[in-house]
Amino acid sequence: MYVTANRDTCGGCGLCTVTAPEVFGQDDECVVTILLPRPGPELLPRVREAAERCPTGSIGTAGDHAEKGPI
Amino acid sequence: MEPTRCPYPFRRAAPLDPPAELQKLRAEPVVQVTLPSGDTAWLVTRYKDVRALLADPRLSRNLSRPGAARISKNNRLFQDPKMDPDPPEHTRIRRLVMRALTAARVERLRPRVQQITDELIDRMAERTPPVDLNETLAFPLPIRVVCELIGVPAEDQDRFRGWTQAFLSISGLGSDEIERSMAELDQYMRALIIAKRGEPGDDLISAMIAVRDQEDGRLSEYELHWWSRLLVLVGFETTAVQLGACVAMLLSRPDQLKLLRDDPGLMPHAIEELLRWKLVGSSVTMLRYATEDIEVGGVVIPAGSSVIPGADFANQDDTVFDRPEVFDITRTDNPHLTFSAGVHFCAGSSLARLELEVALSTLLRRFPGLSLAVAPHEIQRRADKFLENFVEIPVTW
Repeated sequence: MYVTANRDTCGGCGLCTVTAPEVFGQDDECVVTILLPRPGPELLPRVREAAERCPTGSIGTAGDHAEKGPI
Repeated sequence: MEPTRCPYPFRRAAPLDPPAELQKLRAEPVVQVTLPSGDTAWLVTRYKDVRALLADPRLSRNLSRPGAARISKNNRLFQDPKMDPDPPEHTRIRRLVMRALTAARVERLRPRVQQITDELIDRMAERTPPVDLNETLAFPLPIRVVCELIGVPAEDQDRFRGWTQAFLSISGLGSDEIERSMAELDQYMRALIIAKRGEPGDDLISAMIAVRDQEDGRLSEYELHWWSRLLVLVGFETTAVQLGACVAMLLSRPDQLKLLRDDPGLMPHAIEELLRWKLVGSSVTMLRYATEDIEVGGVVIPAGSSVIPGADFANQDDTVFDRPEVFDITRTDNPHLTFSAGVHFCAGSSLARLELEVALSTLLRRFPGLSLAVAPHEIQRRADKFLENFVEIPVTW
């Protein structure tokens, strides 16, 4: 699984960084960064939760057979 | 003949229940409403459409456009022709402000929020009930937290209540009175910014001054002043009204209160449910302007119309929420839109959640017999505000 994050639409609230801190970070401008682009299956539930909670819909996941989204 | 239009915000039959119109009118994807100013807007009622529109760049937040509906006749609220509330201008400044408000930064404020809460509740416990919860906790806590965050000295904090009351008035005050309050706040913030320039602190205004003084185009002097004022104006009243309303709501539902007292681990779910219930008011402040024709559920909203994505409707949508009319603090799947969504998602939502969690947990722990000192239907709301404040919330223990 790949994690995708759209830095153009990110609103900088940082909910993802507390939901899955191993996977998501924020740069100096608060824009989302991906720390772990291919998290293991044990992190999947929290990555999904981060995607669901993201207020701007900027986080997604893509399977190994899918196109890699914008990171 | 003109079709009949409902006035919006709706009146509530009972102070703690959602207006009945939220269920009745959702049969239509869009309804036309009349705002307190007399202007017309299109109100969008279904969750899916509301959420999509909040992320739709064809809807502008810039209400200074000619022909845009006004919420109030007397109050220009967020409308300043010199400020562009749409991306990319808005995004540039918002990111500066967000640094102080990210979920991780806010979590570090927890011990301080707990300390202020404990002090206020100690003082409340010394008094003889009944007391007004607005006065003892719901207002002082968020005022102190936001003032420390942005760098307003403690001795000045009392003056802010009056200024925000004027800012949030729809019809209670004349435009002269509102303008005068705003001028006073402006004067105060000018003096504060001069003082912080000389002696910066570890606060948001000092941080914004530092960015401004780098002269790299990220923040102008005008924007620095405008955002400093805005942070004060929107920084505590929302949380204060929500906190008071949360207490009133929980105390008026003994079955739900018991669940929460028996299992304090339910608090995060309870807070989301209290937020979904949209106790602080309508969605009138989410007013937008359509820059193009927009189709919603088969209805075309023409370019130039004003549009309200109805978060209050969306939060009661039974295609998203199981039995939405039931207030249920054990609800786990709760993607409510009370903090909006998209680029204007509430910047202070993490701080608001923290304050609600600390305040409600501490209050319930310290007062095992806390109850309303009046019947729930006797709690009075003010209807002439953007936020539907409670006049007072009398509690006893």
